[in-house]
Amino acid sequence: MKAAILIIIGCWLMAGSLQAQNHVPLKYTNHTEFGGLFGRVKYQFPGSPGDEILENRLNVTLQTFNGVMLSNRLSAGVTAGIDWYKTALLAPISGGIRYDLTKNGGVRLFTTADVGYGFAWFQDDIEGYRTKGGLMLNPGLGLRMGKAGGPAVTFTVSYKRQEAHIDKFPLWDQVERSEDRVYNRLALRLGISF
Amino acid sequence: MKPKLLHLFILFAAVTSWSCNDQCKETRVTRRFTNVTRSVMELRTMLKTESPRSLERPGKMYIKGDYLFVNEIKEGIHIINNKDKSHPEFITFIRIPGNGDMAVRDNILYADSFSDLVAIDISDPQNPKEMERIKDVFKNGNFDGGIWTLNETTGAINDQNVDFVTETVTVNCEDGVNPSSWWERGWLAERAFATAMSSASSASAPGSGGSKGQAGSMARFALHQNFLYTVTQSSLHLFNVATPSKPKDFATVNFGWGIETIFPYENKLFIGSATGMFIFDNSNPAEPKQLSTFQHGRACDPVVVQDNIAYVTIRSGTACPGTQNQLDLVDVSNPSSPQLIKSYQMESPHGLSIDSPTLYLCEGAHGLKVFDVKDKFKIDKNLLAHFKDVDAYDVISLGKTLLLIGKDGFYQYDSSNPKDLRLLGKIPVGKAI
Repeated sequence: MKAAILIIIGCWLMAGSLQAQNHVPLKYTNHTEFGGLFGRVKYQFPGSPGDEILENRLNVTLQTFNGVMLSNRLSAGVTAGIDWYKTALLAPISGGIRYDLTKNGGVRLFTTADVGYGFAWFQDDIEGYRTKGGLMLNPGLGLRMGKAGGPAVTFTVSYKRQEAHIDKFPLWDQVERSEDRVYNRLALRLGISF
Repeated sequence: MKPKLLHLFILFAAVTSWSCNDQCKETRVTRRFTNVTRSVMELRTMLKTESPRSLERPGKMYIKGDYLFVNEIKEGIHIINNKDKSHPEFITFIRIPGNGDMAVRDNILYADSFSDLVAIDISDPQNPKEMERIKDVFKNGNFDGGIWTLNETTGAINDQNVDFVTETVTVNCEDGVNPSSWWERGWLAERAFATAMSSASSASAPGSGGSKGQAGSMARFALHQNFLYTVTQSSLHLFNVATPSKPKDFATVNFGWGIETIFPYENKLFIGSATGMFIFDNSNPAEPKQLSTFQHGRACDPVVVQDNIAYVTIRSGTACPGTQNQLDLVDVSNPSSPQLIKSYQMESPHGLSIDSPTLYLCEGAHGLKVFDVKDKFKIDKNLLAHFKDVDAYDVISLGKTLLLIGKDGFYQYDSSNPKDLRLLGKIPVGKAI
């Protein structure tokens, strides 16, 4: 978690530094998105280690990026979100950037990158379970549809890695049980930016 | 947008989609049981004094005067001179096969050794001597979940050695039901109910008659007047210790199942079991009579009592069934009809000790919590301190000193100010003597 906080602080400092270098008037920007986290999981069939099961996973995600324009194409800020995994409600807070790869046109390609920590603040664990968050990484590409410098609709495709740790109620003859979880997801999001 | 960039976008989406597999690994520390048969005849020759050794797997503790007794689970008892609390001195180790509990009256140490109760003269702590052995009084027991039973016809103990194995398996990343399924829950409950025997806890047990020490709330042995009370999984066993060096098998009171701890208070016996708290009238110490039962769900539950309030911790996990982790305050002013005052959620409550108005509560791997219990309805709002960096299994409050034992060792604190316990000394597990 310390690393994540350092990364977020680092992004802020970098943003401030770039902004100072470019002497661009500070302009607020927001990018709010809603979508799905698509993934799969392959796991051992309980009680039969030789057999494996493959299942699809889909969860809802919401996030909002709030930052400043460092140039006409680059913005940096903080992204706060919430991800409804089936048994974990995680709230990632991260440092992020948005960079337009293309300058002109009605549809522009841009890249996004968010790095931070997913907190389990809103997770209400059932008895015997304790969920802790973990590092979050979310780089991606997006299409921005709208006039340059104005409001736009966005569609982003990104890879999202979210770690979590769950301490669990021991079963059978166990004395300890815990799970290290890594969500590797394809995040498809629709959003607006201005 | 240029077609090249569009292709890049599509390629990125494809690669991301292809690689998006959740990776979830569950790490389990599991008991592995190995069946072994031990000769009772041979076990009885194995009690002996050995040179001091380090703590390896500390179990229960007992304090009497300047001497501290720490059980090494299933192995024996360390005798430690605790006069200088900052530098306790290991005096000797008494090898007692199958030992889990102890009590001391005058200079006699009572200890279980699988099926037997042994009385050991410790007037010279460096040279303890076996004085008396009452054979075949305990029929079964459990250490770390491994069950032993006495086969009287063959003179054998059918025992289970327990090893702890760590394994990692891939899971479905969505396990959030407790336990994983209802049939597992049922199985778990039955298994634990059958084995939840020796994991009892410690409480500062007052009493009268003779000079005796103080046990923790996880204790299964208690001294009161002329009797040593021991609880087994299903019964209360009385030994007459009017002559401390000559204990005599006196009586057995059968009741319930899953009995865990015993705490004598005034003329009552409070017995913690996997299904509730039993209260016995002990006005006639030779013949305890059951007054009432305070029922709760199946779970492990040591109990301590002060000022007519019983503090009962209920814990799930390990050999303890159920899903509750809580502290119950029970009004026992009318012992025939105990009434719940309030329940408080805890994390993994183990042993506890009350030194009104301060309650010390062990939370296992979650450390030690110190509460002010003046307001019975707001104990959770009066957490004085939480020491998270210790593994706390059992605790004994001696007024200005606090003794704490856990998997990682034995601790002594100056508890003059309960808010700010000052560590006097620690004996870590594995420290060379």
